[in-house]
Parts: sequence; structure tokens; C-alpha cells
Amino acid sequence: MLGYIRLEIARARRDPGYVIMGFAMPVVMYLLFSNLGVAGDDHGWAVLHVMVSMAAFGAIGSAFNNGTGIAEDRTAGWLRQLRITPLAPVQVVAGKAGTGMLVVLPAIAGVCLSAALLNEVRLEIWQWVSIVLLLWAGSLPFTLLGLAIGYRFSGQTAAVLNIAANLVLAIVGGLWLPAEAFPSWLKALAEWTPSFAYADLARKIAFGQAPGTGVALILTGWLVTFGVLAVYGYRRAGRVV
Amino acid sequence: MTNNAVSLNNVTKCFGAVRAVDDLSLDIPAGQTVALLGPNGAGKSTVLRLLLGLLAADSGTVRVFGGAPEAAIRSGRLAAMPQEGGLVSRTTVGELLGFVSGTYRAPLPLREVMAVAGLEELAGRRVERLSGGQAQRLRFALALAGDPELILLDEPTAALDVRARREFWESMRAFAARGRTVLFSTHYLEEADEYADRVVVIDRGRIVADGTSREIKRLVSLTTVSVTVSAPETAWLELLPGVTSVESRGERAHLRTRDADATVLALAEAGAVRDLEVVPAALEDAFIALTGADV
Repeated sequence: MLGYIRLEIARARRDPGYVIMGFAMPVVMYLLFSNLGVAGDDHGWAVLHVMVSMAAFGAIGSAFNNGTGIAEDRTAGWLRQLRITPLAPVQVVAGKAGTGMLVVLPAIAGVCLSAALLNEVRLEIWQWVSIVLLLWAGSLPFTLLGLAIGYRFSGQTAAVLNIAANLVLAIVGGLWLPAEAFPSWLKALAEWTPSFAYADLARKIAFGQAPGTGVALILTGWLVTFGVLAVYGYRRAGRVV
Repeated sequence: MTNNAVSLNNVTKCFGAVRAVDDLSLDIPAGQTVALLGPNGAGKSTVLRLLLGLLAADSGTVRVFGGAPEAAIRSGRLAAMPQEGGLVSRTTVGELLGFVSGTYRAPLPLREVMAVAGLEELAGRRVERLSGGQAQRLRFALALAGDPELILLDEPTAALDVRARREFWESMRAFAARGRTVLFSTHYLEEADEYADRVVVIDRGRIVADGTSREIKRLVSLTTVSVTVSAPETAWLELLPGVTSVESRGERAHLRTRDADATVLALAEAGAVRDLEVVPAALEDAFIALTGADV
């Protein structure tokens, strides 16, 4: 299974789509959003707020991109090839999920490093560690949703669905524009999205507050939901490979 | 029973209304090289997929080394080379082969696999930049990597030119010579003839002939002998040695024969060799003959 993850990471590195969307885009967007049109007192708030938003956005994009790959793998006969190796199906799924947990790291690290080095964000060590760990662990539901879509749909449909899900979650979850600026009905909706809960956990730490149990529960609920969807998608895919 | 590498018992597999495999039974003892010969759509690929556990039979039992196909794959005793696909993009030949090899408990040394498949100089090449023949050699290498006891090959030479084809079969022979069992599908009669100990002819999901290549060839060697005859009545032609049927078109008589030599000799004795033409049966004719005999 480690061999499988190693192979998948080597493949991701050579995927220009992943390198751009999973690393370059979130970093560039972070530097733009945190510096353009933000004056004076707001600047300190923006560099921190947008840091978490863009790290979350990039991580979600990478997690989805990982899922889209599965649909392509099936079309290319790769899933069938894996089935005629001694790897157990559950190892293949676990390997793909493990890959998903690794490919989110460049976005998180890239944005946090840009914040510290270019935007002079200063936080306690424990804050940095907690933020990175929360952003990392909290990406699992998105990895699972990506797998669910990748197993359930064919190449092109999966790609479109993953991009759509990524954008909807980013916008409604307040990753591009802060949810504080939303009309109240949209803000109420936003608070139930996995993307809002995901970013909010890390954001609370960044602003020196305790993460809320409510958002943690919401994210856990989505984790279970997407996990069930991923298992369902895989079972279905197993029959048609 | 336990000596059989492959054992199919009354296996049926339908896709909608189509019976791809129809009540088929086949035992292959360990160590044989068997060709599964048949036209496109005969059910060859379906049989191989059933044996790999990629498809489940509607009825009947599929056994590989006395157990389920999945178990044989899991233990590394069964490996296969698909006809196409399976080569994932953005990897190199070396990475892909190294990964697959690493999934086996007792793989062949990588260098040996690369040498057998003729891939030594391509280790660093990206998989998507391989030619058709190179890609096929890589698929072969992936199938060999775990040193399986039984290897299934689905039309292994379909994408290869003549030279690559010969090279491929040389490697295959070396593999079979180590006591391994090989089952390959093909629609080339010559390939089955030259490389298999045993030829199983399959059509519309059923076995229509099963024997050594010599036996099969005798069964299917329906040659057409054509002559121009001036006499209007042609009934006597049907009585000539080897002839199974006669078809007349104008002055031209087309004789189907199982023994072209004897037929031609008899025609010569009768002094009827005007515009003599001898055409060996096309494979399709052979299948028509075989399936016709079966009905």
C-alpha cells in the first residue's frame, strides 16, 4: 500500500493541473486577497483570515483533484490492473485516501509559509502547529467526497462535479469572501457547510480563540456522510470495472 | 481435479440477451500452453475475465488452482495481461513495474523481468510515450513480475508487428518452459498452431473443438478447389474423394474438400483440371464449418 501511495504521489507531482490548482493558485490568491485593497487596521486581520481561507481552499481543491483522478484511472483500465495484483481492494481505497491526505499538504504549507515569510504573520508555535494539523486532518471529508465522486462518475462528469463542488463549497463556505459579509440567510446556510466548519476550526486558533464544538460536530457529520458515499461509490464501481 | 490450473464447470454468463459464455466447461492441467481460438465476439475475453474474477458467472463454477480466482490473484499464482489499458499515465516504466512487482510476496528480480520483456533501455521512459509494441511488452512484464504459475493473455500480439510478435512468443516460450501454465486468446490460427500444446476453439460462447493443433487443423482444413467444367451435370464431382459439397456457378464448379490432394488427383485422372484453383479455407469458413458441425 505504501508503494501505491508512492506511485500516486509521483504521478501527482507530474500533473500540471494539480501543481497549479493545489499549490500555485492558493498561494497567489492569498497574496492578492490579503494585500490588495486592504488598508491600515484591516490588514492585520486580512493576512490571518485569508491565510486560513486560502489554505483551506487549496487543500479542498487538491483533495477533489485526487478524486477526479480515480475516474480517469478507471477509464484507463488502471483500476482493473490493480485488481489483478495481490493488492486487496480495501488497500487500494486506503492508498488513494492516504494519497489524498498527502496531496493537501503543499497548499497548506505554501499558504502558511507565504503568510509567515511575506506577510509577516506572527503566531505562537502551538498556534502554527494546531492550524496546520487542523487543516490537514480536517481535509479528510473532502478527500472522501472526492473519492465518492471519482468512483461513482466517469472521467469528464467527475471532473465537472468536483470543480463545481469545490467552487460552491469555497463560495458558500466563506473561503473567498468572509461569511461575516454575507446576508443573514446566506450566513445561516454557510454555517452548515463542511468548508465553513473546516476553516472555522483553524481560524479560531489563529485568532486566539477556542474552536467551537458545534462546527467540529458539523464537520464530523460531513465526514461520516462523505465516508458512506465513498464506500457506496466504490462498491458500485467494483461491479463495473 | 487439484492438478487443474483452470477448471470451468457449466459456466454461463449473459450480457442482457446475449449469452457471451454458454454452458462452457473446460479443464486445463497445470503446465499446458492453451490457445483460446475464436472470432471476435466469440466469448474469449469474457472467459478470461471470469477466470480473473473481474466478472461473476451467472451459473456454474469457476476455479483457479481449485479455489476462487481472487484467491489465486491474492497469492500471486495467477497473473494476466489485458488486451489494452492498465498503463497509468504520468508514471515511468521503471516506477510502474517496480510498484506492481512490490505487491507480490516473491517477485522475479526486476532486472530479469525487464530483460525478458526487452524493456532495459526504457526504464526511465514515461508510460504515455511508449509505442504500441513497447506498451504491450510492458503489460507482459507486469504480468510476469510476480512469477505466476498461471498467466492469462488476452490477444497478446494484437498490436504487434511481425518481428515484435515473434520476439514476444520467444519470451512466452521461455516462461512456459519453466513448467508454467499459459492460456492465451487469439484469432490467429497460425499463432495457436505454432505456440499452443492444445487449441480450444470457441464460438458464440461454446467450445466447438478442443485438441492439438494438428487435430484442429484436420477438422478445419476445408479447402476450396475450383475448376471449369464443360459438361452440364456436376453430380459426379460430389463423389470425388474428400469432397463435402459442390457449388456450381455457370461453368465454374467450387468443391469444398477435406483432402485437397486426393480431390485434385481424382480431378486430374478424370481429365478435368481446366483453370484449376486451390484456395485454403479462411478462418471464418473454418468456424462456420465447426459450428455447423456442432448444431
